[in-house]
Amino acid sequence: MLCRRLPYRIGLVVCLSAAWLLADSAATARPAIQRAAAPLPLTLPNKPDSLKFGVMGDFGTGKREQYELGQQMARVHSQFPFTMMLTVGDNLYGGSRPQDFLDKFEKPYKALLDAGVKFHASLGNHDSRQQSVYEPFNMDGKTYYTFKAPKESVRFFAMESSYLDPTQLNWIQHEMESSRDDWKIPYFHHPLYSSGGRHGSDLPKRKVLEPLFIKYAVSVVFAGHDHVYERVKPQNGIVHFVVGSSGQLRKGNLDKSTGFSDYANATEQAFLAIEISGDEMYFNAVSRSGKVIDSGVIARRKGE
Amino acid sequence: MTIRALIAALAMSAVVAVSHPAAQQPASPAAPAQPTKVNADALSSLVFVKRVDEYVALHRKLEATLPARPEHPTAAQLDRHAEALARLIGEARSHAKQGDVLQQDTRAYLRRQIGRALAGPDGPEMRRSIMEESPGKVQLHVNGRYPEGVPFTTMPPSVLAALPRLPEDVEYRFMGERLILLDVHAQLVVDYMDAAIQQ
Repeated sequence: MLCRRLPYRIGLVVCLSAAWLLADSAATARPAIQRAAAPLPLTLPNKPDSLKFGVMGDFGTGKREQYELGQQMARVHSQFPFTMMLTVGDNLYGGSRPQDFLDKFEKPYKALLDAGVKFHASLGNHDSRQQSVYEPFNMDGKTYYTFKAPKESVRFFAMESSYLDPTQLNWIQHEMESSRDDWKIPYFHHPLYSSGGRHGSDLPKRKVLEPLFIKYAVSVVFAGHDHVYERVKPQNGIVHFVVGSSGQLRKGNLDKSTGFSDYANATEQAFLAIEISGDEMYFNAVSRSGKVIDSGVIARRKGE
Repeated sequence: MTIRALIAALAMSAVVAVSHPAAQQPASPAAPAQPTKVNADALSSLVFVKRVDEYVALHRKLEATLPARPEHPTAAQLDRHAEALARLIGEARSHAKQGDVLQQDTRAYLRRQIGRALAGPDGPEMRRSIMEESPGKVQLHVNGRYPEGVPFTTMPPSVLAALPRLPEDVEYRFMGERLILLDVHAQLVVDYMDAAIQQ
């Protein structure tokens, strides 16, 4: 109506602009419509008082696949309102300039950031140490740190696995020893167990960290580095996850001879959605195409 | 004191003087001998850490002259701050060259320490993990920014345990067989040495 009343040239500009704006808002709204139309087949209990969080790693590429998995994260969040996201490093590939933070973090996870999801980053071998002072990563200027979860008896330990010097090793020992939390969850970049063909298990780090994790009754460890998703059979009672395909992916890059893999996927990008309720930890690995590719429950190991 | 007792006392002091290492030096009041480096490695470590401390003191002094970083900095503000700090350090150390911090004695000492750490049964695995992310030939410059996009090679825990501890502003990093002293806040190469890892 308005278009017809205006002089031809002005009307054309106004109407084209309006059409463009409508088209743009429709495009922006599209993920929300998809979210409403197709719920994901999550198998998490989704209890009201449980701790809900996500884990992702090796994601900061700025490529289409990262953005598409970001959309799946938003879909999961609309059904399963997780409040935190842990990163197991390689948060930004190719540099840590302002545009990198924008294109490889703020834009792909805008929906989560807008919804108040708090990220807790750890650093990978591609990450500048400057990232530790980037506020949305919540590292408080430290390359390794610990924090208590807002719900349940859970404490997280973000470690800097490319630089396990005596200071950091003393720190982790002291923090784990003094923690009275039921769940002690370390996360870092280099996996102690991995069937990834490119890197595989990091034996020097396993040698120094695993005895501590056994001693302090750690039940689960999250890592990345190999660009695959893998859940390792319990090793000395501890379940190790490799979540290194949340942006990068090394298709088919799995060494099947390790013999310790319980489930592995090197066909599409994935991240983990996790719920802790009491002594149980439920997990769903969600892929870029919206499939739940791995799921299960882990019982907490009790200390001696 | 009887003469017999005096002779005995003189004889005793002569024995003590002969058995003392300093007494073996020829008596030369004009040129005191250089002290023997009894624990040369500890001395090398001490001298090296002192030089790094001097660098860190400079870093902190210069950083204090910059406008304070905002309480909630954006990525752009962080970047500007790091660049400004790197520029100030570069100006203050405009005459710095390779080997100023990692001097000859220090280099030899660090090579020995790294060699010892890599000599054990886990040595091949550690070498593999160090070389895995080696970027190949990369031009490094003292006071230059760490090359953008080049991954940080992993530092095996036992190598770090064998090297002198550094203040938190500075880290060791391998780049292939090179060892770099990296200013982590300014992303700056403080110094580097070649062939840190020997075959």
